[in-house]
Amino acid sequence: MLEIKGLTRRFGDTTAVDGVSFDVRDGILTGFVGGNGAGKTTTMRMVMGVLGIDGGEVRWRGRPVTAQDQRRFGYMPEERGLYPKQRVLDQLVYLAQLKGMEAAVARGAAQEHLERFGLDGRAGDRLQELSLGNQQKVQVVAALLHRPTALILDEPFSGLDPTAVDSMADMLREHASTGVPVLFSSHQLDLVERLCDRLVILSRGRVVASGGADELRSRGPVRYRLSLDRDAGWVREVRGIHVVDVDGRTALVEVLEEGAEQAVLREAAGRGAVHEFAPVRPALADIYREVAA
Amino acid sequence: MTTTLTPPQTSVTDEPVAGRAAWTLVARREVVVKLTDRAFVIGTVVTLVLIAAFMGWQAWSAERTSTYTVAATSADRAMADRLASSATGIDDKVEVGVDPVADDAAARALVTSGDADAWLHRVDGGWVLTSDTESQDDLTRVTQEVVRQATLEQQAGELGTSVERLEAGSRVTTSLLTGDAEKAGLAQGVAFAFAFLFYIATLTFGITLANSVVEEKQSRIVEIIATSIPVRQLLIGKIVGNSVLAIAQMVLYAGVGLVGLSLTPYASLVTAVSGPVVWFLVFFVAGFVALAALWAVAGALASRTEEVQSTATPLTMLVMAVFFGSLFLDGTAKVVASYVPPFSAVLMPTRVLEGTAQWWEAVVALAVLVAAAVLVLRVAERLYRRALLQTSGKLSMKQAWVAPE
Repeated sequence: MLEIKGLTRRFGDTTAVDGVSFDVRDGILTGFVGGNGAGKTTTMRMVMGVLGIDGGEVRWRGRPVTAQDQRRFGYMPEERGLYPKQRVLDQLVYLAQLKGMEAAVARGAAQEHLERFGLDGRAGDRLQELSLGNQQKVQVVAALLHRPTALILDEPFSGLDPTAVDSMADMLREHASTGVPVLFSSHQLDLVERLCDRLVILSRGRVVASGGADELRSRGPVRYRLSLDRDAGWVREVRGIHVVDVDGRTALVEVLEEGAEQAVLREAAGRGAVHEFAPVRPALADIYREVAA
Repeated sequence: MTTTLTPPQTSVTDEPVAGRAAWTLVARREVVVKLTDRAFVIGTVVTLVLIAAFMGWQAWSAERTSTYTVAATSADRAMADRLASSATGIDDKVEVGVDPVADDAAARALVTSGDADAWLHRVDGGWVLTSDTESQDDLTRVTQEVVRQATLEQQAGELGTSVERLEAGSRVTTSLLTGDAEKAGLAQGVAFAFAFLFYIATLTFGITLANSVVEEKQSRIVEIIATSIPVRQLLIGKIVGNSVLAIAQMVLYAGVGLVGLSLTPYASLVTAVSGPVVWFLVFFVAGFVALAALWAVAGALASRTEEVQSTATPLTMLVMAVFFGSLFLDGTAKVVASYVPPFSAVLMPTRVLEGTAQWWEAVVALAVLVAAAVLVLRVAERLYRRALLQTSGKLSMKQAWVAPE
């Protein structure tokens, strides 16, 4: 497990990351969410040891992380870039060798990964001859190739088409399933919601929410959708709820006092047929807007 | 998507790279990338062809023998025959044949038509060599010598003495208190050649190195590398890779030059030059490595390729100063500068070649140069490490020195 404890980084007078703490647990995907300038990249660079730390610490398997540990992590930096003029396979092998892999083993592993991304025909091409999306896939392969002990990926999904997003997600899940903690940043909330077991929401350098996706959603207001066979205007009279919206025969209500939704249901059943009465789970986007506001 | 992955702990050794000298991987990549770069290969081949062509032209023009036909009437025939028989003895590139003519008009006609190169005839107080539109320098020189010798012999005979007696004691030769004349001339040529090679190599490979550093920085691949191996290994690998390339290229050029030289009449110089070349190479390596470390820093101080030109300006000036210093420094200034790195890289081997420096002077200068190279490497490593991951624009040396890591 990777523990981030009170990480702080200042650039001049601005505090880019301010006492950020969260865990990246083994075997699951942790999504790192936040707007531009929230401090995601700065945090990841500190975790990788690329950027100095002004305060706090990073712990790996229960002790302070060392450069030796960090070298066995897989990392994909924010701005993409491998060697534009070097051939795809050659540079993957080179980077894996720097991580301590044997050339022959690296070559085989690189070919296997390229195949999974449908890039096996491009192994001999120069990187700059590939589309940006394909370059990004190569970039991710570079981070995964040496079977890292942890994965830190800055915006791995940006710029990928839906098919590539799926194969990337599969690959990340697979790596996580071997017991590896995976942290990736994104501002595509729907994607994070779909993929992640846990997420950390960052805003202006601080963690504003973190936990499992369901856990975070349950923190949101509890709402029920009501659909009747006649006008639903009467809900405005019920106590203990807040009426978010009434539109003819349907209504959306927020429960203010526990149990008030049962009163609504009884009243509705007494007045006629109830077509629908269901809790509405807030989308992560709503939670995000609320906590990051 | 059914591939199963083994647990990561088994695929990477516990001591990933630190123990395996990652710099060799970096150095190898630098070399391979350059050797597969078409522009580099073409540039090297073109330069080699130029050197070979120059040497070939030298050899061909040195070997070429010019044959002249000289017209002479029967009155001047004796002198013309003497010219023909002794020309080659005076200048082995000149051969002279005689074309006897009946009278002056016939001689003029022969020269005008181009069948004869010149007409040798006697006038009051001397001889005239008449050509059609331009005089032939080689033929003129040889004729002057032959006529002078013949005249001297004749007049010495009339005076009852000999040419040797007339000329006795008139010879002037030169000698030097320090070094010797033949070496001095040779030293000048070789020193210029090496100063020029050093200048070209440090400049071209320096800029290549600075660019390769900033390219890695600009594309952020340096973040991946810096999280894979210690930055020091990256710096060493880049310096070694580029130094190997530079030295190999210089050896190739110098080798082709020496082989070419051995085919010219200056072949005897090859052995004279080969010894001092070793000194030049040793100083070249130490000087190049010290400068290469600075070029790496120049690259690291920039954030984008376009900024390298300005971060490398002080270095470009230094390299030019070394080159021009080696050409124009003289006397005490030259002796002092031959101990001062990086000037010593060119000036000390030059002095050894001239014979104006003792062997221990070279050893001292080399020790100073190597010490300076080590010091520069240490300073450069700190600057490089700190500047490498700063991506917000151009840095000054001072900013890089105090930058947090």
